[in-house]
Amino acid sequence: MSAAAIGSAELTALLPIVTLGTTAVVVLLWIAFRRNHAEAVWLTLGGLSATLLALAPAAGTGPRDVTGLLRIDGYALFFIALFCLAAIIVVLLARDYLRERAEQPEEFYLLLLTSLLGASVLAASTHFASFFLGLETLSISLFPLIAYATRDARALEAATKYLVLSGVASGFLLFGMALVYAETGSLAFGGTAPAATAVLQAGAVLILVGVGFKLSFFPFHLWTADVYQGAPAPVTALLATVSKGAVFAVLLRYGVDAPLARLPMSETVLGTLAGASMLIGNLAALAQHNLKRLLAYSSIAHMGYLLLAVIAMQRIGPALAAETLGFYLAAYTLTTLAAFGVMTAMSPADREAEEIGDYAGLFWTRPAIALLLTLSLLSLAGIPLTAGFIGKFYLFIAASHAALWPLLGLFVVGSGLGLYYYLRVIFRMAASVGEGTAPGPSGALQVSLGTEAALAFLGLSIAVLGLLPASLIDFLAAEALR
Amino acid sequence: MLLTLFYTAAAVAVISTALVVTQLNAVHALLYLILSLIASAVVFYLMGAYFAALLEVIVYAGAVMVLFLFVVMLLNLGQRTIEQEQAWLQPGSWRGPAVLAGVLLTELLWVLATGSAAETGHVVSSKEVGIRLFGPYVLAVELASMLLLAGLVGAYHLARRGGRLR
Repeated sequence: MSAAAIGSAELTALLPIVTLGTTAVVVLLWIAFRRNHAEAVWLTLGGLSATLLALAPAAGTGPRDVTGLLRIDGYALFFIALFCLAAIIVVLLARDYLRERAEQPEEFYLLLLTSLLGASVLAASTHFASFFLGLETLSISLFPLIAYATRDARALEAATKYLVLSGVASGFLLFGMALVYAETGSLAFGGTAPAATAVLQAGAVLILVGVGFKLSFFPFHLWTADVYQGAPAPVTALLATVSKGAVFAVLLRYGVDAPLARLPMSETVLGTLAGASMLIGNLAALAQHNLKRLLAYSSIAHMGYLLLAVIAMQRIGPALAAETLGFYLAAYTLTTLAAFGVMTAMSPADREAEEIGDYAGLFWTRPAIALLLTLSLLSLAGIPLTAGFIGKFYLFIAASHAALWPLLGLFVVGSGLGLYYYLRVIFRMAASVGEGTAPGPSGALQVSLGTEAALAFLGLSIAVLGLLPASLIDFLAAEALR
Repeated sequence: MLLTLFYTAAAVAVISTALVVTQLNAVHALLYLILSLIASAVVFYLMGAYFAALLEVIVYAGAVMVLFLFVVMLLNLGQRTIEQEQAWLQPGSWRGPAVLAGVLLTELLWVLATGSAAETGHVVSSKEVGIRLFGPYVLAVELASMLLLAGLVGAYHLARRGGRLR
């Protein structure tokens, strides 16, 4: 049997990805015969749960290369689990959101599943072909999702912007891959070249530009705020967590596997991107009055922070870098989902509660929701006893071990700036009911039990990860890149 | 000799692509885009990738681009657009693409007449491509099918009737 063949062990390893694909096809066929929102939701939730269950047998097969395109190991499975969890929460949020707005809500879940499939493939890919196909599956599913629900002009504008910039980014990526292939003669990440020629360096930089667009690093960040604002809140949650997490997962894998990512030039380029993103993201967020735009700019800063783990990887080794990335992304995913979950729950049927003013006095009218948003913002700011603090602590350790002092300085400055604008929202929520626009719960969306459960789970997990991080850390240390 | 042919075809591709970007008229730009794709097909052909060259012509230059051209020209029907199309297709506007296409045709005839081998010395047959696709790259084929499914469903949803801007 050749190395490329797929046997039963490989099929077992692929089981989570196969389950996701099968679920997408089942949902497609079901919609074709019976259009029913609730049934589509249940099918999707069932498929996602089955995917989570399929992770156990897949983990049992150990780190395993499947046909040279994918490597199913603890790292990939951890991210697949995280993305599935995020998708379940997005499904629960979207169910309430779409019930009021979209005429045909069923395709939403189908596109969600295909985007998840793309993200899972990205987390496992060790080859440029699977990298590109995964990324495109993810992006192509996101365009219609962004323009999905309200059919308003702003959503279409956001989707068009994302489509065009995504296309440009893919062009850069492909060109970079072609140049790297021309030098190494291999499309696998591990392909080696005899010397670091100019062509190779140009290829590596072009790949970074493509990835930079997707992760909205500083010079490529201009689409972020508009797309975040225009997209429906559950889709923004998906975009901010799954899409960015998947690209980060593949970026670290590429950095670990590819010898040419360790060119000295890469560190300079990545360092510049990281430092500029931290600074510009936080400074731009200071001026925002719209919560969605604020979170968009703060996400640019967070992506800059996270890049520290990738840069530090070359000096501290892949295991600690993967652990840092895994923890920070898990914390960031839960926290961001909580913020956009609150936004979904607060939004009346005809618009979204995206202005900071919409949240004035929330502590007095809806204390539970206000508490969750506070927890989420504090976690984003990195206040102790929240998951975000442990994540930042990890990054701090990684960066100081790697002696990245200038970047560490920017990290600290950025976090300080972040504290200011996150606290501003919290103070607004604590304002007394009389002043400003006080939103009663009356106009807000009818929240179902599912959304409440999802929000409660998010709040609880942010707190648990902050108070007892050892549970996840032990798991990551055992399962991280082996 | 083949190297000269290669560089000529590559130059045609670069020139026509630059003209795609600079043309103000969408139809003229599309004509050059078709030409650019045909030029890259010739490049593939010269490198011995006959199958890829064929696909490039049939799928891109043939199906996709002609579809683009039709959509652009059919967007608004009526007497006014007929006049507009006549204005678009002035003799002057097809001279450029025709000259560049002529260069490619001469190259192709030359290669066919002299029967020279591929520059790389290796001809990639469709059988080889098939064995690769359904061997080590079978997962890529499956993934591409899911990618197309996502694109199809997305296009269906966005282009559905009944949606209204508000």
